[in-house]
Amino acid sequence: MQQEYKRIDITKDQIVPIAEKMRKNGVYLVMIHAFLNKEGKMDISWDYAVDPAVESYHVVGETTVPSIGEIYDEAARWPERELNELFGLTFEGLDVSKRLFLPEDLLETQGKGQIMVTPLSELVEKNQTNKKEGSV
Amino acid sequence: MSYIVPIGPYHPALEEPVHARLITEGEVIKDAEVFVGYNHRGIEKLATERNAIQTLVLVERVCGICSHSHAFTYAMAVEKINGIEVPKRGDYIRVITAELERLHSHFLWLGIACHIIGHDSMFMHIWDERELVMDILEKLTGNRVNYAMVTIGGSRRDVSDELRREILDACDKLKAPLDRITEIALTDKTIALRTKGVGVLKREDALRLGAIGPHARASGVDIDVRRDAPYSAYGDFEFGVPVVDSGDVFARVVVRALECYESIKILRQALENLPEGPINLGNKLIKIKEGQAVARHEAPRGQLSHMVVGDGGLNNHRISVHVPSFKNTPTVPFMLRGNTVADAGLIIASIDPCFSCLDR
Repeated sequence: MQQEYKRIDITKDQIVPIAEKMRKNGVYLVMIHAFLNKEGKMDISWDYAVDPAVESYHVVGETTVPSIGEIYDEAARWPERELNELFGLTFEGLDVSKRLFLPEDLLETQGKGQIMVTPLSELVEKNQTNKKEGSV
Repeated sequence: MSYIVPIGPYHPALEEPVHARLITEGEVIKDAEVFVGYNHRGIEKLATERNAIQTLVLVERVCGICSHSHAFTYAMAVEKINGIEVPKRGDYIRVITAELERLHSHFLWLGIACHIIGHDSMFMHIWDERELVMDILEKLTGNRVNYAMVTIGGSRRDVSDELRREILDACDKLKAPLDRITEIALTDKTIALRTKGVGVLKREDALRLGAIGPHARASGVDIDVRRDAPYSAYGDFEFGVPVVDSGDVFARVVVRALECYESIKILRQALENLPEGPINLGNKLIKIKEGQAVARHEAPRGQLSHMVVGDGGLNNHRISVHVPSFKNTPTVPFMLRGNTVADAGLIIASIDPCFSCLDR
């Protein structure tokens, strides 16, 4: 038996109203994900456990979106902070003054958003160069 | 006068690195912050350069305790994208391994909780009983950790009739020690004094912060993916979901002890009704079709989700792994407030944190 997964494309303006509706109905936020699609556009998704299905709301082509931290508290803030570090996405209203996963020296030398959008081979090469130069 | 008491990132009560900063007045914790990310391994990034079979090996290394859960969940996401139907026997074997994993994980945590409160005889007793489960897992999979039981389209190893009977016998043998452990956990004064009213997470806070798994169920939140969104073979079994309202460390002990009984119930049903037929579809390397899917599994610590994106090639375009500790760790500061410094280690450990999972 497989779980149901529904992809629903939305616009940036719908992110907050959908989160508010889900919260009101007691629906759990499964996670917030992101990836670069085939066209090189950012695909961000907010997955909600509308049991037994997962409803996945997608916004494509945006790198600045509103935070839903005021609605889902830390359950939303942590994944938003993670995506800010890994993809360099901006969540309006989110406090990103402290790091979450990546070391501060890596964020300082390589910047946010390097991990997921740079090919692994380039990251390895960059890291080796930095090590030789003593910057990491 | 306020003091800041740092715990970790390396601390004897914590097997993995996490840093908590306690703001105290005297012995009482007034506020707290938790910091993670001391060993981020970039596993999601590595997965983008691996095919589905290689990724099963990789995601099992996300966690040493719930390694099967990761392979199970990743496989379900890929099977969803590719429209692969797993043979019934393969599904049952996945569930059997998952429930044995839950048993060993819960026994492990119950032992650690006793060790932290200084009840070391109970710790040794629980871990001694846990060996029965570990022996069965070793016989079933060949390994004590990283079981390698999952392949895309089923399970990798079959369960012989002899082993099936042996696991059923083990379920019988576990009953008496589990009764004894549960009775001691519920009645022992030492355990009660150190855990009752300690590290309380109220139901409304658990819901607001998105707590999941046994941690949420100990705060009166009735959720369990196995029941709420049945997958694999879970729809075939009857089992209960223990929920306790008090939200303290004691409730977390009780919920996990009771969940062991439910796992044994599921194991019995799966083993007694193990269907005939193939266990997988041939263990072939497949291309991951263009598309994406999210799979959820109730791992021992709570809901685990894997999001997989395929682009029609052999490798993953992207995977995103979200572990129970990602949801439960942010609740820790709320549980620490108002408690004493002496209980901080126990409270942090009471969510059964896995910072190895978190730093995937």
